[in-house]
Amino acid sequence: MAIGNEPSQKPAVELDGVTKQFVDFSAVEDLTLSVDDGKFFALLGPSGCGKTTTLRMIGGFEEPTSGVIRLHGENVTGLKPYKRPVNTVFQSYALFPHLSIFENVAFGLRRSKVSDAEVKQRVGAVLELVQLVGRENRRPRQLSGGQQQRVALARALVNHPRVLLLDEPLGALDLKLRKEMQIELKRIQQEVGITFIHVTHDQEEAMTMADTIAVMNQGRIERMGAPTEIYEDPRTAFVSGFLGASNLMSGKVDGDRGAVALASGGVIQANPNRLPAVGAEVKVGVRPEKIQLFAPGDEDAPPNRLPGKVTDASFIGVSTHYLVDTPQAGEMTVVVQNLDDRRFALGEEVVMAWQPEHTFGVTG
Amino acid sequence: MPRVKRLILPVYLGAGLLYLFLPVLVVILFSFNDNHGRFNVRWQGFTLRHWLDPFRVEEIPQSLLVSIILALVSSAIATAIGTLIALALTRYRFKGRSPTNILLFFPMATPEVVMGSSLLGLFVATRFSTGWITLILAHILFIISYAVATVRARIVGFDRHLEEASMDLYANEWSTFRKVTLPLIMPGVFAAFLLGFALSLDDFVVSNFTSGRIQTYPLYVWSAARRGIPPQVNVWGTIIFVLTVTVMVLFLWSQKRRQRKVGI
Amino acid sequence: MTAIAETPRQAQETAAGEAEKRRRRVPYLLLAPGIIYLILLYVVPLISLVRMALQDGNLQAGYEFTWAWENFAEVFTTYRGQLLRSLLYSVGATVITLLIGYPLAYAIAFRTGRWKNLFLVLLLVPFLIPFLLRTLAWRTILADNGFVVTTLIDLGILPQQGGRLLATGWAVLAGLVYSFLPFMVLPIYVALEKTDRSMLEAAGDLYSNPVTAFWKVTWPLSLPGVISGTLLTLIPAAGDYINVQLLGNPQQTMMGNVIENKFLSVIDYPAAAAISITLMIAIVIAVVFYVRSVGSEDLVA
Repeated sequence: MAIGNEPSQKPAVELDGVTKQFVDFSAVEDLTLSVDDGKFFALLGPSGCGKTTTLRMIGGFEEPTSGVIRLHGENVTGLKPYKRPVNTVFQSYALFPHLSIFENVAFGLRRSKVSDAEVKQRVGAVLELVQLVGRENRRPRQLSGGQQQRVALARALVNHPRVLLLDEPLGALDLKLRKEMQIELKRIQQEVGITFIHVTHDQEEAMTMADTIAVMNQGRIERMGAPTEIYEDPRTAFVSGFLGASNLMSGKVDGDRGAVALASGGVIQANPNRLPAVGAEVKVGVRPEKIQLFAPGDEDAPPNRLPGKVTDASFIGVSTHYLVDTPQAGEMTVVVQNLDDRRFALGEEVVMAWQPEHTFGVTG
Repeated sequence: MPRVKRLILPVYLGAGLLYLFLPVLVVILFSFNDNHGRFNVRWQGFTLRHWLDPFRVEEIPQSLLVSIILALVSSAIATAIGTLIALALTRYRFKGRSPTNILLFFPMATPEVVMGSSLLGLFVATRFSTGWITLILAHILFIISYAVATVRARIVGFDRHLEEASMDLYANEWSTFRKVTLPLIMPGVFAAFLLGFALSLDDFVVSNFTSGRIQTYPLYVWSAARRGIPPQVNVWGTIIFVLTVTVMVLFLWSQKRRQRKVGI
Repeated sequence: MTAIAETPRQAQETAAGEAEKRRRRVPYLLLAPGIIYLILLYVVPLISLVRMALQDGNLQAGYEFTWAWENFAEVFTTYRGQLLRSLLYSVGATVITLLIGYPLAYAIAFRTGRWKNLFLVLLLVPFLIPFLLRTLAWRTILADNGFVVTTLIDLGILPQQGGRLLATGWAVLAGLVYSFLPFMVLPIYVALEKTDRSMLEAAGDLYSNPVTAFWKVTWPLSLPGVISGTLLTLIPAAGDYINVQLLGNPQQTMMGNVIENKFLSVIDYPAAAAISITLMIAIVIAVVFYVRSVGSEDLVA
């Protein structure tokens, strides 16, 4: 059941220099972003970073102190929520306790004066989409958390909004259900074809579901891009730390071929496009799963090498997590897939090695 | 021994309730008293004759009618105003919260004498003659704070996002109020109305100051206390009591039923 | 909005600002009727009462504003007896009401489970019988040959000769306690109900003695309710005159009686006003103390 038309060229949502100032602090500062039509977009960040405030401004529940918000090219700044062609799924679901499931879902349609026959047909279709047929006459209280969540989703989708806003909708579900719903939501979004904007603090969730992620910190967007892109090339220390372990080392750019001289000695090779100008201070990092462990002196190891001593080894089943202490970079995390039986013991001297293209540089 | 300890509170509760109901029982009992004096204080035998002739003293049902109308009108108005205030206090952040709360508290903590006398002073100064209007104004005054308290307790209970959800689904503010807010706070509003009704019906002191020539039920009882109280007073008191209790029970019962279906 | 030299961006900013401003006005509109009402009918009369208290004169000759502070002085001299008695009775009644009412509130909050609402209703139902009738009923209950008095005489608590309860301070006290019990119980109940059960359980774990657990955890948490209930009892009790008139004797009047008398019978407005204001000042002090220590959010429910 596709609701949206062909994805349009105009971005679904645009924020232009949006700032939200509260009495004693500023939640969102000079935010500019653009969400493509038909995509699953995630706003990711820790609590208090301003992601929910941003979402609420798109929905019309808060007004920006300054800046412009556009939906499909149309300026909606200052418009009340009921005048905007967007719908929201709230974190607490906000289902109307005094109405049946059917009436809950039909609420928006009724306010838009849709005929009874059409209401019945559309509600039926959307309930089928979220797999809740047969419970129309129950009250919200009688449903489980997961079911309520799907009602909230249905209630929003049935109105054919052009953009769907989701405010940490999976937060209240247990782990297993959350994982199931992540896949469900992604499936529904692709089937229905409209733009989803999903707010979450769970980086795994964002990376699973989103086409594009914007990582927010203290009211600003620090990094925006596809999941793989921002994971492998985080560009700021905050983003690299937020999306996973990062193993950061301080150094200075040496020459224009991608060499970085570490502050504590040694040279690391990186992709020169991921580094600032020659001579600049930089922090470089590498993801734990990109590092391999070798015995000292092993010449098969990739070019970037750092010697160290194993201080912890935890067997996780799929992989083994090592902590290796190095003179140049302190303690580094290494994750090795258990492909063979080679395990490194506590206290053993090893060499950590990885390919230059896996090195990323960050600021901040 | 622990067994006995567990019983202390429930027993105490029972004793407390007994203590509270004692005067009630006396009032009801003495409506059946076969008394022959002016004062209905000593038990002289059981009779139904007062019940059979409740209109013997006309002033009683008359004053009751006055009290009931007064209570209905003033409670309705006070509840409406109080609901607005409760909505403002719970749903919005604004400057002046604290002074508002304090201002609302004062009427509840003021001795009725002071309230009554200051109101009378106001009416005298403005040369407003005491009568129905002053009575209603006075009653509204002391009910408002209680109405706010009651409705507020109810509103605090439910999800703040419900109204946002409603607006998100294309209902404007008025529509949201009618379709979402009002149905959900209705039990609280109704409870506030009942409370106001009871407070108004019960009021003596403030009414004494502001009623002029109008006689409410408590005012009648007061004047009768000097002269001699006909048992019909007890009869009517019992009737009102039974009626109000029935209304309250019905209200609570229907609430329980609705709660089970809707689950608030 | 004029379209002259306004960039689109500026225009949008004004639109956002307008919407925000409109939103901010709403709570004030909601509050307006109530607050205006209270100010007109509560605050203004009180202020005029203060003015009245500082006047001199009588009904015939008219009143003159003379900064007559002696009216207030009179409160403390001529009516000293009533003042002290009001203080005594109201404090006494408050203490007793607290002692009786707290366990009741506790019992309802924690021991009644599903029937909580029912018990709350039961608590309040007796007060559907008009105040006067209830107090008169007490007159019957505490009558000289009534059950209560005879038992007390038998038990030796009251003297054989002329032992009575009516027309003594005790009856007045009993009446006051009875009248104000719900005003004490309800706020305490609300405060207790709101407390986090897990805190109480934690207290039970930490302190082996349930009494200590109560003192250190439950009591402080319920304090706002206790203070609220105390305020709702103490001051109105101080101004009560019905209980005195019906259950006490004319020799032992309280401030309330004086006010009523001066206002309605003797028509000595300045004196009556002075006494009323003295009472009100006592409330104000008490409320200020309360708000300072606990904050104002819990005042109204």
